[in-house]
Amino acid sequence: MKVFLKFDYNAVCMRVLEEKLDALGLDYQLSGFGEVDFLENLSSDKRAEFAGFLEPYNIEIVEEHKSILVQKIKDTIIDMVYNQDAELTVKSSVYLSEALGHSYGYLANLFSEVTFTSIEHFTILQKIEYTKHLILNEGMSLTEIAFKLNYSSVAHLSGQFKKTTGITPSAFQRIIAKRRENLN
Amino acid sequence: MAAKFLKSAVFTKVIFVVSLFLILFIAGLGYKHMTEVSESQESVMHTYKVNVELEQILSYLKDAETGQRGFIITQDSIYLEPFFEGRGKINNTFAELKQLTKDDREQTENLRLLNELIEERLEYFQIASTYALKDQTDLLRFKKVFFEGKMTMDAIRVKLNEMILLENERLLKRKQAYESISNITPLFLFGLIVFTLLLLYLSYARISVNLDKITASNKELNVFKELTNQSEMINKHGSWRWNVNTDEFSFSDNLFRLLGEQPNSFAPTIENFMRFVHPEDVETLKDQVAQMKVDMDLPFIYYRVVHKNGTIRYLKAYGKSIMDTEGNVQLLGTTTDITDEIDSFNALQKRNKELELNNKELAAFNYVASHDLQEPLRKIQTFLSRLEDSEATSLTEKGQTYMQRINVAASRMRLLIDDLLQYSRSSKSDEDKVPSDLNELLQSALIELEEPIENNQAEIVADPLPELQVVPFQIQQLFINLIGNALKYRKEETAPVVRIQYSSVDKTDHPILSQSVAERFHKIDFKDNGIGFESEYGEKIFTLFTRLHNKDEYSGTGIGLAICRKITDNHRGHITATATPGSGAIFTIYLPE
Amino acid sequence: MASNYTHIILADDDEDDRMFFTDAFDELKIGTKVATFPDGIALMDYLNQSDAELPSILFLDLNMPRKNGKECLKEIRQNSRFNSVAVAIYSTSASEEDIEDTFVQGANVYIKKPSSFKKLKNVLSSVVATNWQYETSGLNRDNFLLRL
Repeated sequence: MKVFLKFDYNAVCMRVLEEKLDALGLDYQLSGFGEVDFLENLSSDKRAEFAGFLEPYNIEIVEEHKSILVQKIKDTIIDMVYNQDAELTVKSSVYLSEALGHSYGYLANLFSEVTFTSIEHFTILQKIEYTKHLILNEGMSLTEIAFKLNYSSVAHLSGQFKKTTGITPSAFQRIIAKRRENLN
Repeated sequence: MAAKFLKSAVFTKVIFVVSLFLILFIAGLGYKHMTEVSESQESVMHTYKVNVELEQILSYLKDAETGQRGFIITQDSIYLEPFFEGRGKINNTFAELKQLTKDDREQTENLRLLNELIEERLEYFQIASTYALKDQTDLLRFKKVFFEGKMTMDAIRVKLNEMILLENERLLKRKQAYESISNITPLFLFGLIVFTLLLLYLSYARISVNLDKITASNKELNVFKELTNQSEMINKHGSWRWNVNTDEFSFSDNLFRLLGEQPNSFAPTIENFMRFVHPEDVETLKDQVAQMKVDMDLPFIYYRVVHKNGTIRYLKAYGKSIMDTEGNVQLLGTTTDITDEIDSFNALQKRNKELELNNKELAAFNYVASHDLQEPLRKIQTFLSRLEDSEATSLTEKGQTYMQRINVAASRMRLLIDDLLQYSRSSKSDEDKVPSDLNELLQSALIELEEPIENNQAEIVADPLPELQVVPFQIQQLFINLIGNALKYRKEETAPVVRIQYSSVDKTDHPILSQSVAERFHKIDFKDNGIGFESEYGEKIFTLFTRLHNKDEYSGTGIGLAICRKITDNHRGHITATATPGSGAIFTIYLPE
Repeated sequence: MASNYTHIILADDDEDDRMFFTDAFDELKIGTKVATFPDGIALMDYLNQSDAELPSILFLDLNMPRKNGKECLKEIRQNSRFNSVAVAIYSTSASEEDIEDTFVQGANVYIKKPSSFKKLKNVLSSVVATNWQYETSGLNRDNFLLRL
């Protein structure tokens, strides 16, 4: 028998962090977006222990300011893509710079410097990933998804899908269906 | 309903029965009439007899009277002889009369009175004779007796006449009754006989008509039988019947021939038949026959038989039970020799396999050739690009031109190889056909063509397209090639516009479809505003490697439209092109619905 | 701490292609460590060592002697040890059949070898970048399909 799971990575990560931090016995505050605010000074031993706890989960401690900012940019973009309910009235660039307190130019440069990709491309990638998720897990049609993700038309969405992944949404759906069939 | 009854055999039977009864009735009536005739004759005879007897009595009495007179005159007793004789005769006659009239009460009464009168008369004779003997004839008493005798005699006469009259009257009545009967009866009998004859004629006519019909249908049946025999021989059929009630089989002549035997050369039994069945098929066939006897039905079965000369033939049999009007069940079966079919089927399959293999080999060759050609070409191009990137500056101008030329040639070769590869991939069979939304495939094609569409500011306007069972990537390729063509052969200074128009058409609407199996087609037009071409090339452009332009003017391999034709062929459709130079072309595809 | 370079492996029987590949990564300067194998057997021998450093992305040529790319792909996808490895098919041909087939078999990327060095660099950098997104941005790896 086979079941398909649907999970919220953010929630999973938060849960893991909570468990590990509780195990360390330190006072802390989780502020989302992968930020842990320790309420006391962190000894280097505890720090190493914490890093060790997180390693099996591929979670690493990023310290550099740049990396943190990039992570924040990503989180903001993901939040924008996944929570379209908060209808965006401003352009995403404006939204980003306002949310993070930096000029968009600075953020864009920083982002491509660290990730080898642009904010625009990252946003598209996230949208396409969300589209995949909606196709597979929510059984939504492309028309519905285009509407949900504020695309001007289905053609626009499928064009972007194809441009980003090299395959059409229907081919994607077909391939995943066949994969699941093979697994059974 | 009534008309049907009049034509039925039952009606004929009814007529016969009615006729029979009428004849019986006529016979009965005739017999009755005869008895009546003889009865009336008898009664005439009776009357005459009675009258004769009565006359006889009178005559005897007269004789007796005459004798008495003679005796009285002569006193000679010889004259008394008739008197004595008469007496005896009268008694005899009387007995006779009594017998004759014993059923007639009136006459019996009359007879009794007559008898009394006669007795009285004879007494008077006696007395008168006594007087005459004593010769006292002149005595007054004698005279008185004589007179009394005469009076009695008169009374007898009267009585006799009365009786004769009565008898005659009876006779007359009987005669009248008889006459009235015999006057009516013949007419009635005649009518009845005519009617009966009519009925008999009617049934005769019926029977003779039926007989004609039966004879005619018998003839037909014979012809049909002969035709069946011929057809069985020509088509290698045999037929058989299994009578369920008697469990007996009968085989047609040709069934024997199917087994390689002369007609009726052995008894038509299952056991005998089984002797010819291929040993490997005997068990199965036995089971099937057993099942047939249970089900009263034989589905299509296949088995082999071996002729005496060793030839193996493939047979196919089928049977169905029928019930006749009397409720008897028969299983009628047909057996066919399908060896030729199987042989030709096998041969065909072999040919098909060969052809398929050839095709596969050809496709594989094409694929491998173009695929393997790609590799070195790609390397040449990659090395060239690296040369251009890093070494171009160190080359002389001539060297740089050569490199450019090499690049152009290599690009052209790539184009050719890519197109050839695509051409070889376009020979896919039905297996990959899936229900597809042509609108989606068109969208995918437009995504593929995004670059040239944007670069040329082209406008593509499309009608809604249907959903259809197709090989998706082929149809997508078809759309790409057709729209790509329209973009490539655009008019300079004019933004290309491609209109994709859809309609559903009947095969009779377009001569090109007339040979098709499908009745209705999806017709999709691709209309462009490009440079068009001379209409005489409308058909030629679809053949492989046909180019209408110099390759310096338009890059092209002459394969694109050949691929289109191959794809429409694969889908049992058609593609046509019409154009006028300078004002665009229309490519039309027809895909069966 | 994980290593700060991306580990990449290529299995391709063609020497020129291996050279283009390593040269391209050298020129891209995106912190990669590239190892190449001349065929499927050599590749699998390496991967099956228990202490082998597993690559982030494994590039597989389809047409290789002894063990071809599809066979390698099958073996790799049947072994849960390689779950974190993204597999990129790297082939001369790009028939729809091969593309769909290898995707279904578990490949994440299908690359038709480009015919210019510049394009090659673009393609490879785009693969690494996309893969990196999947590794760092919490994307569902099962949905990672990319055709280039």
